Amino acid sequence: MEKLLKELQHANLHSQTRRHFLQSAGFGLGALGLGSLLGSCGNSNTETSATAEAMGAKIPQFAPKAKRVIYIHMAGAPSQLELFDYKPELEKYHGKDCPAEFLEGKKFAFIQGVPKMLGPQGKFNQYGQSGAWMSDYIPYLQTVADEITFIKAMHTDQFNHAPAQLLLHTGSARLGRPSLGAWSVYGLGSENQNLPGFIVLASGGRQPDAGKSVYGSGFLPSVYQGVQCRTGGDPVLYVTDPNGMNRNMRKQTIEAINEINKQTYDDVKDPEILTRISQYEMAFRMQMSVPEVMDVSKEPQFILDMYGVKPGEGTFAMNCLLARKLIENDVRFVQLFDWGWDGHGTTAGDNIEGGLRNKCRLSDKPVAALIQDLKMRGLLEETLIIWGAEFGRTPMQENRNGVVMPYMGRDHHLEAFTMWMAGGGVKKGYTHGETDELGYYGVKDRVHVHDLQATILHLMGFDHEKFTYPFQGRNFRLTDTEGKVVKNIIA
Amino acid sequence: MSTLLQASDWTYFIGRFHPVLVHLPIGFLLVAALLEIGKRIGKISVSDSSISFILFWSAIGATMACIAGYLLSLGGGYDEELLSDHQWQGIGVAVFAWIAWLFKSGKISIGTAIYLPALGLSTILTFTAGHDGGSLTHGDGYLTQYTPEPFRSLAGIPPRTEEKTEIKPITDINQAVVYNDIVQPILEMRCVQCHNANKQKGGLRMDNMVMLLKGGEDGPIFVSGKALESAMIKRCLLPENDDNHMPPKGKPQLSEAQITLLSWWIEQGASADKKVSDLKISEQVKPALASLTSGSGGENAKSADSPVLSLQVPVPNEKALEAIKKAGLLVLPISHDKNLLEVSAVNASAFGDQQINLFSPLSEQIIWLKLGGTKVTDTSVKELSKLKNLNKLHLEYTAVTDAGLSLLKDLQYLEYINLVGTKVTDAGLKNIASSKSLKNIYIWKSAVTENGVAEVQKLHPDLHIVNGFNEAKVAEFLKAGDTLKQAEISKTK
Repeated sequence: MEKLLKELQHANLHSQTRRHFLQSAGFGLGALGLGSLLGSCGNSNTETSATAEAMGAKIPQFAPKAKRVIYIHMAGAPSQLELFDYKPELEKYHGKDCPAEFLEGKKFAFIQGVPKMLGPQGKFNQYGQSGAWMSDYIPYLQTVADEITFIKAMHTDQFNHAPAQLLLHTGSARLGRPSLGAWSVYGLGSENQNLPGFIVLASGGRQPDAGKSVYGSGFLPSVYQGVQCRTGGDPVLYVTDPNGMNRNMRKQTIEAINEINKQTYDDVKDPEILTRISQYEMAFRMQMSVPEVMDVSKEPQFILDMYGVKPGEGTFAMNCLLARKLIENDVRFVQLFDWGWDGHGTTAGDNIEGGLRNKCRLSDKPVAALIQDLKMRGLLEETLIIWGAEFGRTPMQENRNGVVMPYMGRDHHLEAFTMWMAGGGVKKGYTHGETDELGYYGVKDRVHVHDLQATILHLMGFDHEKFTYPFQGRNFRLTDTEGKVVKNIIA
Repeated sequence: MSTLLQASDWTYFIGRFHPVLVHLPIGFLLVAALLEIGKRIGKISVSDSSISFILFWSAIGATMACIAGYLLSLGGGYDEELLSDHQWQGIGVAVFAWIAWLFKSGKISIGTAIYLPALGLSTILTFTAGHDGGSLTHGDGYLTQYTPEPFRSLAGIPPRTEEKTEIKPITDINQAVVYNDIVQPILEMRCVQCHNANKQKGGLRMDNMVMLLKGGEDGPIFVSGKALESAMIKRCLLPENDDNHMPPKGKPQLSEAQITLLSWWIEQGASADKKVSDLKISEQVKPALASLTSGSGGENAKSADSPVLSLQVPVPNEKALEAIKKAGLLVLPISHDKNLLEVSAVNASAFGDQQINLFSPLSEQIIWLKLGGTKVTDTSVKELSKLKNLNKLHLEYTAVTDAGLSLLKDLQYLEYINLVGTKVTDAGLKNIASSKSLKNIYIWKSAVTENGVAEVQKLHPDLHIVNGFNEAKVAEFLKAGDTLKQAEISKTK
């Protein structure tokens, strides 16, 4: 009997130690997750100071040139050969067979056999003091040429939309990595305590092909994922109080839920519970702040005209205006997606003559307006605007299944495409890199997407090689093992 | 040093094996000595023939090292005295190793008492010769350069003065003496290892200005005023695998910025005491100079950073920080490596004059301040004018007027001021524009007029005075789209 009791006692102790071990290990992991997060915005008296800290403003590794980012992603990939990368030589080869050197050992998404070359369809000219080349597709952007740094010889590893978008935004063509925006708020937190640090606005009728992962938090705590706001109607669903529920009652409900969550956290120490608590708190604060910041009805008419916005519509132009308003409220990272740039030439909608022109008509003015608007408010200096897509388009006309397309279009191209940046520490009126005379390869100052990421992080005050997060036994970074800061574009 | 052999490729080829061969006798002799000790105190059983065998190879190794070493020395460029010491000690090692072997192996059986002293001497000499050899290769004091305290003082080594692996960050680049603060540190980092008092490759010393002017065995190494005709620069610019390239292949190389700086110094007359501000600074040199202030020429080198960022200020007062946080403001260091602070009232629109004293204890640290949309007035601006390192100031949509603004023009680091939506007028703009540091000023929706901007712009052409759009300007902006409409019309035709 005594023996049995001893056994019981022993087993009890045994399980206790194991439980304690697991608990402390759990806490250790939580501490790891939050360990590197420093500074807070003064909510230290709230019960969930850990979450406030996780989302509060944080300190970069070195003095940042860009405090905030607006990333404009033209999902589908517009043709750089119609907009920025002027290739008069390509005109001469228009309609001729593509040289074998462009095709040997290369893979394309759709091109088969020997396609014809397709000359530039835009009318090009040089604009601004800097003499940047732009086409008549984008007359408004021409007016701000001297604010922009063009990167002409971008290249990537992926020629399909979803993996290329993932590579661009998360540093890996496979799922599971945090996005650039998530890294940014993980590193810098959010200054405005009533708004999420990373907000996503989509237009063009569809989400990007890679889905929510392009603005996901990957293995970072999910508090860092992008919060997508709707652009028409309520910016966030259920942000207004339902009938019969007043603000106070809602507050009490949320407090009660958070109280229970807090107890659970005390028991199991799962950092994701903190995320949950902070999301509830944020949601409540957003009930006040979001409708206000997303309301454009108080904007003067000439500002609405400048962007080409009518209150209530959910267009790309509206998203540009909202982006400015969010930046004005110190939101850290605003991600814009605009779908519909995939100009293969298979239908009347996705060709160069109609589709691309139309997308430019809808987006050119608001983008130029956004640059102007931020500038006159004194915000452009510290806000980095990035414009681009997941890849570029081929100098060859697409010949899907080996047949000539009914419309003019180009296939996906990973060897060379143009992106541009403005504001936040990049040079004004500068062109970096060059492609060959047919616009197929970058021949000078090529910039890989990892280099672009390294540069963006650098501008935000981070050494991309030292900005890491431990996961599954090793330190991960946005650029993984690649990436070199493009110093030449930094002002 | 007399040259007995005609130096040929073979001489140098074999000579370069000296550092390889030299480690054989060192190891062998130590083993022999340890075995001898172990045997004598009875810890191990080892036969005399084993020790004798090891001694034989020690002697062979030492002899070969001596031959290779002599051949290496023919290349010249070493401190003669040190070299001579090293040489005779090395020969001593070989000679005593042979003597020890002769007795141990029983080749000579009389006077065996000499065996132990011979072995001992040979072993001790490996240490002294080895040390001198190290000094010849790496420079004097290499071994003990990083001796930590308290052993440093105990050993009587003077305190370490200066890191020679990195150029010391320069706080005020304009006041830096080009030779002392820029040129010599680069030479120390990359050249002096082989061109110093002890080791003079090519008869050249680069450890001070006098010796640098003297040049090497081929004469002067630079032509003052002509960088591209100077051997010193030419050699750096040669391809790395060229025999005449300096620093030699495999050694740490000069960076592009460092070559630019050296060339610039020579180009500008190679003065010993002129300051950066005394010389003409070309566009090409600017980024290289800027990289010096950030302390590293690496990836993090900032090209055109504001001088305020290189200020060293004390750690901010913890209580003062807490007080600011309690008022609902954000206050954070601008980066992990700095005490400079950024303060923002983004979450505290009620912030006003009565709280402005919170900043006083941090008058040195606060450089970026966002008070846009708060209740501050000119009363606050008076306090802000005491934040002497203020660099960026947001006062948009506040009640600030010309009177307050005028207090800020003497802030020597102020580069950015946002006055959008304030009551500031043309007079206020004109006044603040006289600030020497100011670069960007934003006056959209203030009381400043177009004419006022034009007038001030004429006086200060480098200042960016940014106004914004009104109805008329937007209408003008929208005209850019006319080309689109025309394109459409021509298409429908």
